[in-house]
Amino acid sequence: MKTMELTLELQAYVDGELDARRRAEVEKLLAVDPEARSLVGELRAMSELVRANEPVIQVPETREFYWSQIQRRIGTAERQAERDGSKRAGSMHWPRWLVPALGITAVATVLVFIQNPAGTIGAGASFADLGDPVSLTFHSDTDGITIHWIN
Amino acid sequence: MSLKQDYSSCADEQLVAWAKDGDAEAFEELIHRHRDKIYARAMIMLRNEGDALDLSQEAWVKSWQRLRQFQGESTFLTWMTRIIINLCLDQLRRQKRMRAESIEEMEEEVGGVERLMPVEDAKPTEGLESEEVRRRIDEALGKLTDAHRTVVVMHEFEGLEYKEIAKRVGISIGTVMSRLFYARRRLATLLQGLKRERSE
Repeated sequence: MKTMELTLELQAYVDGELDARRRAEVEKLLAVDPEARSLVGELRAMSELVRANEPVIQVPETREFYWSQIQRRIGTAERQAERDGSKRAGSMHWPRWLVPALGITAVATVLVFIQNPAGTIGAGASFADLGDPVSLTFHSDTDGITIHWIN
Repeated sequence: MSLKQDYSSCADEQLVAWAKDGDAEAFEELIHRHRDKIYARAMIMLRNEGDALDLSQEAWVKSWQRLRQFQGESTFLTWMTRIIINLCLDQLRRQKRMRAESIEEMEEEVGGVERLMPVEDAKPTEGLESEEVRRRIDEALGKLTDAHRTVVVMHEFEGLEYKEIAKRVGISIGTVMSRLFYARRRLATLLQGLKRERSE
């Protein structure tokens, strides 16, 4: 009876996985051990039998139907990729939307600072529509400030 | 001569080049040529027609998406086979069918009992028609566990070395060797059993 280690060594010999030195050792053993020769014979025969007779199995669907299913899946995957791409691109647009708003805020902040460098905005404020569709003015008597929004 | 006939007479390499440029008809011709082989590989590994069909189609979808990555280092069929085997391995892992979970399966894994079995007749399919031999081998493969069958498929049909199988399956080389040993001895016994059944 062979040890597991030797058995697997014999198999590795059959599979061509041994280096030259170990291969020579196994061949020495095979020359004097009929049991090892039988096992090597069985392993080799089984390997060759399976390799030479790979089961042939056909797709149980017509060429057209099989292809139509693949086409549909490719289409679904591409639409999904486009949707994912749009979502990513959409999130990239956010900063652009913020640009005008940030600009207006910056202008307003500067105006407040110029007119009342040390003060705070309080009550008594009023908005004035100057008839200009692209601008709006905010004035606070209490704080003595005027802010112009320019769109 | 129709365009379809033109495609059917082209080499895989040409069809791949056209498919890379978005030619769906060239890709369909590649599918037609190799679909049975890819499906068979999934069917042998998974033993389930529904799963095999689903994964074989998934393999073609992935192939279409990744075609530009294929640089012709191997044949197109070899590249496709790699895709389907990876999908099958993922499926088996998801279903936890790659692990030996019972004591019996662990014994099978290391091939302990099989080492003690008598050596079988080296020609259990002698005298049989080729189709019958293939059928019996498929039947015997179906009786192995997923873990053992996977190693047989990768070694015998794909011709992969122990270390490559170990890497792709995520097991040690020693486990590859013991699983392969068990599987071969079990196949020998199963085929011998089938031979006896038919002769009785």
